[in-house]
Amino acid sequence: MIASDLLDVPVHDAAGAHLGWVVDLRFVLDGTPDTHLARARLHGLVVSPRTRTSFMGFERSSVRHPWPIAPLLRWRHRGTFLVHWPDVARVQAPQDGTMPERDAVVVLRSGYTCYEPAL
Amino acid sequence: MKSRLLTVALGVLTAIGGFLDAGDLVTNAVVGSRFGLSLAWVVLVGVVGICVFAHMSGKVAAVSGRATFEIIRERLGPTTAGLNLVASLAVTVLTLIAEVGGIALALQLASSVDHRLWVPVAVLAVWLVLWRVKFNLMENVTGLMGLALVGFAVAVFLLGPDWGELGSQLVPNVPVQESAAVYWYFAVALFGAAMTPYEVFFFSSGGVEDSWTVKDLATSRLNVLVGFPLGGLLSISIAACAAIVLLPAGIQVDSMSQLTLPAAEAGGTLLVAVVIVGMVAATFGAALETALSTGYTISQYLGWSWGKFRRPARAPRFHLAMILALVVAVGVLMTNVDPVAVTEYSVVFSAVALPLTYLPILVVANDPEYMGEHVNGRFMNVLGTVYLVILVVAAVSAIPLMIVTEAGG
Repeated sequence: MIASDLLDVPVHDAAGAHLGWVVDLRFVLDGTPDTHLARARLHGLVVSPRTRTSFMGFERSSVRHPWPIAPLLRWRHRGTFLVHWPDVARVQAPQDGTMPERDAVVVLRSGYTCYEPAL
Repeated sequence: MKSRLLTVALGVLTAIGGFLDAGDLVTNAVVGSRFGLSLAWVVLVGVVGICVFAHMSGKVAAVSGRATFEIIRERLGPTTAGLNLVASLAVTVLTLIAEVGGIALALQLASSVDHRLWVPVAVLAVWLVLWRVKFNLMENVTGLMGLALVGFAVAVFLLGPDWGELGSQLVPNVPVQESAAVYWYFAVALFGAAMTPYEVFFFSSGGVEDSWTVKDLATSRLNVLVGFPLGGLLSISIAACAAIVLLPAGIQVDSMSQLTLPAAEAGGTLLVAVVIVGMVAATFGAALETALSTGYTISQYLGWSWGKFRRPARAPRFHLAMILALVVAVGVLMTNVDPVAVTEYSVVFSAVALPLTYLPILVVANDPEYMGEHVNGRFMNVLGTVYLVILVVAAVSAIPLMIVTEAGG
């Protein structure tokens, strides 16, 4: 699996309800030491309910500048949350292999937890 | 202390010479010959804009060590950034073609040898410099020689115009013989000539090439804030030359040779020679910068190793990208296309592509994770947002204006 298999993919809960799209992946560097850094581990997915466009990193902090871009993006991405990778039940492969990124779905476990996306 | 003063002086002088390129030369002369100085205010708006933009991207490069296109990809995601890359690259290659054409036309003026014969020679020279010459040396030599364009300012004084009349042209108004749409089309073109995307790629990646740190911020700010406005004054003096000599004679600029007419009238062969040296240096310097920018943008987007501070063998794909861009430039110029027309189009498309690079820089300049205590202050943010609006308006109106006016008619 590569990052593009997850980015922009719709997210459903266990019952099949649409929750949003994966707009970013959150990694942590706490694995076994690799050449320079520790090996990156996928910590969770940033899910935005209304849009699959970029949040431009504003989900990471409480930065409010530059006006009006920051408020506009915050409004467009309101309700964005982080789900941990273990809460992902499965990444459903596309039914027919024609448009992989269109038909793939990330399905969450029932009882998944939404976290604040800020660091 | 003495050496520091020298560094600052050198940086300022390089910024003055480096500000002007084929787009500035052609657009200012065209505008001067048709509108007098009634569009000089656009140069002022453009100069302040490029100061804001270059200062922010230079600061981001110095503090975070990240160049523009790395940031664009990180903030916009691979798909949007990919579209951005295609647009930016197209404009930068178009600018490169204009610059190489500018070198060839200037050499034609000096030698009477057809410009198409000069194109391969010019490209070979550009490539050899990219391959062999150190970044600092390359910057300083072309920047300092570009100062010969001061000849245009000298010409304004030698022509001894009616200063009151010339000054009265500075008021923005549409001349009776031109339509408002054409006026605004050239306003956008002049704005695009002053603020070109490649300048920002080059400035921020150059900061990484020169291994700027927070300590160098003051120097870089001084270079920009003093050098670019003086470069803008040179731009206006080119327009003034055209306004004094060509406008009353009813001559509209459509070739490089007409650009030197006012210099010939004012100072004879000697001044023309000086101005041609400046034109060759300015276009040659800009050709280097645009060629490097193509390499920078592709390499930074795709994560290849890049930079002139590495030996070419250590950044092979970066050098290959630049070679390909130069080959494309030769190919296009050999089709007998008019380099002056290419230049006129390149500045308009520059205006279209600008917001794509500007927005991510503005966002990152506000991110304390990257910038720490060096995040934009309130003043920079107000200025930055005002310019975002101006850039978007110019970008959105550029293509409709081009269609309505048939590219300035």
